[in-house]
Amino acid sequence: MKKRLICLVLGALMLLSMFAACQPGIDKSQASYALVTKSAGNPYNEKEAEGFEAVMKAVGVKAGNYIIRHPEAPTVDAQIKVIDSLISQGVSAIAIAANDANALSAKLQEAKAAGIKIVTLDSDVAPADRLTFCNQAGVQQVAQALVDAVYDIAGGEGEYAILSATSQATNQNAWIDAMKAIAAADAKYSKLTLVEVAYGDDENQKSTDQTQALLAKYPNLKVICAPTTVGIAAAAKVLQDKKSPVKLTGLGLPSEMAAYIGDDADHSCPYMFLWNPIDLGKLAAYASIALVNGDITGKVGDTFTAGDMENSPYTLTAVAGAESYSEIILGQPFKFDSGNIAEWAKIY
Amino acid sequence: MAGKSGRSISAVPERSPLRRIVSWEGALVLIFIGVLVMGRIMSASFTAENVLREMPKYLSEILIALPMGFILIMGEIDISVGSVVCLSATMATFAGNAGLPFIVVVLICLLTGVACGALNGFILTRWPELPPMIVTLGTQIIFRGIAEVSLGAGGSASYTNSADLAGLGSKVGPFPIAFFVVIIAAAIYIVVLAKTTFGRKLYAIGSNRVAASYAGIKVGKIRFIVYTLAGLMASMCALFILTTTYGVNTTTGQNYEMDVIAMCVFGGIATTGGKGNLIGALIAGFTIVCLRIALSIKNVNDQLILIIIGLLLIISVLISSITQSDKFKKMALKRAEEKARAKAGAAEGQPEKQPDDKTE
Repeated sequence: MKKRLICLVLGALMLLSMFAACQPGIDKSQASYALVTKSAGNPYNEKEAEGFEAVMKAVGVKAGNYIIRHPEAPTVDAQIKVIDSLISQGVSAIAIAANDANALSAKLQEAKAAGIKIVTLDSDVAPADRLTFCNQAGVQQVAQALVDAVYDIAGGEGEYAILSATSQATNQNAWIDAMKAIAAADAKYSKLTLVEVAYGDDENQKSTDQTQALLAKYPNLKVICAPTTVGIAAAAKVLQDKKSPVKLTGLGLPSEMAAYIGDDADHSCPYMFLWNPIDLGKLAAYASIALVNGDITGKVGDTFTAGDMENSPYTLTAVAGAESYSEIILGQPFKFDSGNIAEWAKIY
Repeated sequence: MAGKSGRSISAVPERSPLRRIVSWEGALVLIFIGVLVMGRIMSASFTAENVLREMPKYLSEILIALPMGFILIMGEIDISVGSVVCLSATMATFAGNAGLPFIVVVLICLLTGVACGALNGFILTRWPELPPMIVTLGTQIIFRGIAEVSLGAGGSASYTNSADLAGLGSKVGPFPIAFFVVIIAAAIYIVVLAKTTFGRKLYAIGSNRVAASYAGIKVGKIRFIVYTLAGLMASMCALFILTTTYGVNTTTGQNYEMDVIAMCVFGGIATTGGKGNLIGALIAGFTIVCLRIALSIKNVNDQLILIIIGLLLIISVLISSITQSDKFKKMALKRAEEKARAKAGAAEGQPEKQPDDKTE
């Protein structure tokens, strides 16, 4: 008897959850947009979805016509199932943060053949499988922000060092080269001296050792710039524990850096950068809309307006190494300082 | 023994049409139809065309459900099949990218699966006291580990000359090739289980392994064959996965073992062994697939889909435990007796009919 009761309760629960889960259907008289994230339970992804949804609401897309799907697992398999379902529904555009650069190819081509516009964000697929890519960090923008931060924190002159990841790291090397070029090109930065690029190999202990070595070698050092999340966290701890006057900036995760960010002498890092996932979601939404409306086709050189976003209108630029394919660079890296770090530390 | 096995080993009691519908398989067919109707009402996009187009991704899992049914009926479990899928797909991708002819690629893929399954079978028959869950947990980690090491730093590889794969992934009319493969494989497995001594032996082992071995059944040999079959079917699944992803990565086939076990259990196969049949598992497999497609087309939150399927599983286990309980059986028996008596009363002079399973 008891078992039958449990059965009934579970059955009722199942039906209820099915109805509770039902979202309004797609209204075919209007274009429909989908966002596929990497997986559920990823706060970074959820912030992207938040931005995407905000734009959809702002431009007046009906509730059933924008679809946000967090796949059941962070795998390509799960993403393919979601894309399959979106093809069945006949959505107009899919924005996706890919879990694998290769394995989605066939399914995205199938979606393309069904007339769906594909945009990637956050992590790209092979350029031929999508129309454009919303890139969270352009090399130039990151380098410019870092050089300006060093200039500002050092007070316009003095010695600074860079604590990087490994010596072969593609991203970091591109940023460092661009920083050097920017510093050399403008007389404004002429009083800044880069004393050394140290490599902490993205290991906590090695980054700590390298930071201590920099402090010992260069007594006049004013600023360390660490364009890697592991390096900046290790250096921040060393500097703060030693109560060193040397200050720190770079690219870091807010949650890891919250304890070190502050304007007073007790904190080692006045401010640092990373990208803003909410804006990335917004950009993907505007790019999808522009593609569906025919404002852009994904060609290099196309431009479109993105509502009230800071850098609107955006221009599609060429992908380095695949010049005929386009990407959209989000803009300046996002600055985390004492004013906003507490809020962002909770997010990612 | 007849009490524990779903189909009794001795005489099969004759079944009235009503009893057939009341059986779990009959209920599953009704649930299946219910899912299709619900899907159709919920969304206009839930068409035969779309369901068949989305199916290959799920269909391949049903291939593994067949040998998994055998294993569960033996009262055992194999949780390494997902990793076998990953390793087989990895080897096939490497072979394909090395420019080998497609038939060789297929052979390499299947051989990898057979080798993995045979390794499971060897360990479990060489040391029969080892618990299958732990052994296959170990090989699950090992097989995926080998795949991850072979895939190297990027963790993914794409299948470059994909024309042959596209052939395998193509359709005959609206039906994907995988659909026919599943139906043919299912037919073979169902017949083997229901109509051959091999199938009967599986039930015997699941009911009581020691008794089965005293009865002269070569338990070790049968277990070895069944685990090897699981490897083979996992590699067939890998081939069809490749036709949808054209590549492999470290997460390929992840959690398949659980999806597959869910299909079997929902289909009425008891994990304690000796009970259930593959027809139920097959219908259950299609029911779960269609339910997932229907909910997904409606954009139901993907995590909620998992919850719904989880609830469905528990309900199905509960229902079968209710219908198998002694109290329920006694009630059913009583009802049947009364009916028979009434019949006998109507046709006067006839001797009282014996209820068919008096032994229970």
